[in-house]
Amino acid sequence: MTYTTSSIRTLLSIAVFALFLFAGCKDNNTDTEQENITSIEIDLAGFNINQKFYWKDLDGPGGNPPVIDTIVLPASTLNITGRLKVYDESKNPVDDITEEIEAENTAHLFVYSVANADLIIEPNDTDDNGDPFSLVTVWKAGQPSTGTLNIRLYHEPTDKMNTANPGGEADFDVTFPVRIE
Amino acid sequence: MQKSKALLIGFCLLPVLLLHAQDCHLALRGHIFESETGEPLAFASVSIPEAEKGAVADENGYFFIAGLCDNRKYTVEISHVECDHFSQALQIRENTEMDFRLTHNTVLKEVVVREKALAPQTAQAESTVGREEMEATRGINLGETLKRLPGVTTLNTGATIAKPVIQGLHSNRIAIVSNGVALEGQQWGSEHAPEIDPFTADKIVVVKGAAGVRYGAGAMAGAVVLSPAPLRKEEGWGGWLALGGFTNGLGGVFSGSTDWHLPGKSLTIRLQGTAKRSGNLRAPDYYLGNTAASELNFSAMAGWKSSRWTHEVGASTFNQRLGILRASHVGNLTDLQLAIESPTPLNNTDAFDYGIERPYQHILHHTFKYKTEFQLTEKWKLTGQYAFQFNNRKEYDIVRFTGTASDKPQLSFRLWTNTLDVAVEHRPWAHWQGGLGVQGVQQTNFVGTGGLIPDYHTKGLSIWAMERWRRFPNPWEFEFGARYDYRRTAATTDGSLQNIDTLVHFGNISATAGAIYHFSKNLSVTLNTGLAWRPPHVNELFARGVHHGAGTYEQGRADLIPEKAWNSNLTFLWQKDRTEVMLTVYRNQVRDFIYLDPQRTFVLTVRGAFPAYYYKQADAVLGGFDASVSLPLSGGLYLESRVSLLRGYRLAADTVTEGETRHDWLPLMPADRFQYGLKWAKGSGSKSAGDTYLRLMAMTAMRQSRIPGEGLLKEAPSAFTTLSLDAGYSLYLNKMPLELGLSIQNLANIRYREYLNFFRYFADEPGINIGLRAKLSFGG
Repeated sequence: MTYTTSSIRTLLSIAVFALFLFAGCKDNNTDTEQENITSIEIDLAGFNINQKFYWKDLDGPGGNPPVIDTIVLPASTLNITGRLKVYDESKNPVDDITEEIEAENTAHLFVYSVANADLIIEPNDTDDNGDPFSLVTVWKAGQPSTGTLNIRLYHEPTDKMNTANPGGEADFDVTFPVRIE
Repeated sequence: MQKSKALLIGFCLLPVLLLHAQDCHLALRGHIFESETGEPLAFASVSIPEAEKGAVADENGYFFIAGLCDNRKYTVEISHVECDHFSQALQIRENTEMDFRLTHNTVLKEVVVREKALAPQTAQAESTVGREEMEATRGINLGETLKRLPGVTTLNTGATIAKPVIQGLHSNRIAIVSNGVALEGQQWGSEHAPEIDPFTADKIVVVKGAAGVRYGAGAMAGAVVLSPAPLRKEEGWGGWLALGGFTNGLGGVFSGSTDWHLPGKSLTIRLQGTAKRSGNLRAPDYYLGNTAASELNFSAMAGWKSSRWTHEVGASTFNQRLGILRASHVGNLTDLQLAIESPTPLNNTDAFDYGIERPYQHILHHTFKYKTEFQLTEKWKLTGQYAFQFNNRKEYDIVRFTGTASDKPQLSFRLWTNTLDVAVEHRPWAHWQGGLGVQGVQQTNFVGTGGLIPDYHTKGLSIWAMERWRRFPNPWEFEFGARYDYRRTAATTDGSLQNIDTLVHFGNISATAGAIYHFSKNLSVTLNTGLAWRPPHVNELFARGVHHGAGTYEQGRADLIPEKAWNSNLTFLWQKDRTEVMLTVYRNQVRDFIYLDPQRTFVLTVRGAFPAYYYKQADAVLGGFDASVSLPLSGGLYLESRVSLLRGYRLAADTVTEGETRHDWLPLMPADRFQYGLKWAKGSGSKSAGDTYLRLMAMTAMRQSRIPGEGLLKEAPSAFTTLSLDAGYSLYLNKMPLELGLSIQNLANIRYREYLNFFRYFADEPGINIGLRAKLSFGG
């Protein structure tokens, strides 16, 4: 019967159409790209000091709480050079994000705020436009005291001069205990 | 007597079957009434000369004629001693139930007032989207179309992402069924809009209350059911082209559908497509940066019949890109607080643009289905349906380093779903009508590492039965149904489905019982009560991460048990001439309602501290009142009003007295809302030339004052009233009907924010939007 043949033909053409539809969805984006900052390293050097302090949360938000070093500095020390490093240690090999931040220094800003401790941190670098960047800083420790140091990395800040509220969004926002002795 | 008649019909049918390949299996069931009193007319004689068939109505005015052919012209002639001779031309395409109204010995004859397929009607509260409202809003999105119904609102993430909320519940607690297939995407996410092209639907019905028996576990609070237009039955071509444009976002939408019924065959093929594009939307005072969207959808359908078989094949593809308001992207809680405190959006590009930048979503959804029906006997029918769905949701976040970044998404969900349904259904048999069936589901979800939810395999099996009783003129109608669903999920949290580390399985019963009492032909009362349930979803079981949009750290709980709902709806319906009043009161008691409970502690992350929320369970109660009223005034004017009121609370552990419980309002419950306005209509309303309508509506949403005890991140927005205007005009262009329409949303261009929009933290709702549309139908 022509009736049956033609309906089979129609069914086939529909199947081909459907196949075409589903073939179209086989994209190659099988994996995703996640950016995770897991670790922040503070390198302090100069004035007889050569020390590293870490803030690490290797398993990401939740789970195990972050492991945070206490920054201990001798009192009355001047001209310590501070340099930050940022890592993604969830990747293998470990991804050093610092280089990428430096490469896009105009779109990034580090902000340091000290509470209670007698510690002054001042920028020691600028970005390619001559605006603040603060990856490299100069530290001055005063009288023995304890307090905290909050460090933030802002992405795409709208006003780099206004460190209290530079705009953009925080890529990280970590707080270290500080002791000057 | 009934049996011998059936036998006789059977014998008449046999030669017809043998002689014609044409489908002559259709039945006409009629009710004959006296038109003025509405009383049934007993013992009228009915004949269809072309088919050489006849019947005599029973004492209740009922008659039944089977063996009618598809799409052939017939005349139904009815004679009764007390009445004028009645005759009417008729062409039927499916088993049909009709009312015939005869007049007492006058020349006038009344035409059919009701025509419907013999499918089981529901004794459940329902709202259907009006034709005009559907045409007016279809170019925007499904949520916009649905939110005009009483008891239905939307949960939004900006203006472009809208999820339907039925009587206060949404996402995994309702089902969205398109062309007979329950949509399977990542429904759990509040920012995951349904993957539906509203242009594929000809009819949208919202079923309210426990709909688990008909739509499966999960349809705990209701279902949105979209049905396509029936395939063309006449030979040749037919279809429509629709074009729309909107001033807000300078958006355009183009959609077309064409049916081709092959000459001399029963086969009809449909091709349909929709393309949509819009740029940044504008709030009254500023553009909403990065809210552009684009969409490209196609669907194809084919249906054919051969003697006792009916077949339908359908395939569709949905492809959408949605820009997410740039200002909604925040790094940590401090950023979020700054954004909330700022009266205008931060980091906003206040300019018009069609470009879609990060953050954005790219969603693909493909569906394939095959459905077949086999007429076992005059009364019994076997149906089978297989459906395949593939959903791929890719979320592109803002990346830190534009120089080195690839074009990869930060999250990609892929979900494959196979469903198989087999059912037997029967036509009225001792006044009972219904069916029973089984359903099998298989689902695989692949997220890969770093996702918010684990990868999983789910298998499910369901069995259901549903029956409905009606015996005219008995004022009672009854409906009963029961269903058992079993779900087994094997999940892995380490990113490889080879290493299953968690196995959960749930099984439970859903049931429904409904009764309708017809006080008169104008007034009926429906009471429906049902049990429904849903298994906890993987995100509730295994979530672990920061929900940036909400500024919270959310943690799942692997030992959650299913939610069980006991839902009751009581509906009064008054219909007379053009007056319609519908009132529904409902109460939904949910045992072990799953919710996010604030922990009053913070979780420290590299982006700072976030308040912790854990998934928990407690009993909850939702109750409310929906109403819709349409009253004709004089001169073609109508008064229209809709009301949705809702209260929802859960029992929370009392923080003061140990072991005591107290009521705590549920978060994200729609505020009370009122719609009221005037409609002016001229013409028959059935798409004839010169039909015109104009509707001016106001919508007032109250401020939600019933908020959870722990407070809100940002206080609930104040009450507001928006105005909208819809107008339509029909004419003929070369004998083809052309419908022109105008719709204006937020006519007064007011500034407002919606409580159920997550972006109320960041920006105002869009301002005035003027839409123009045209729809040309061709092929008759």
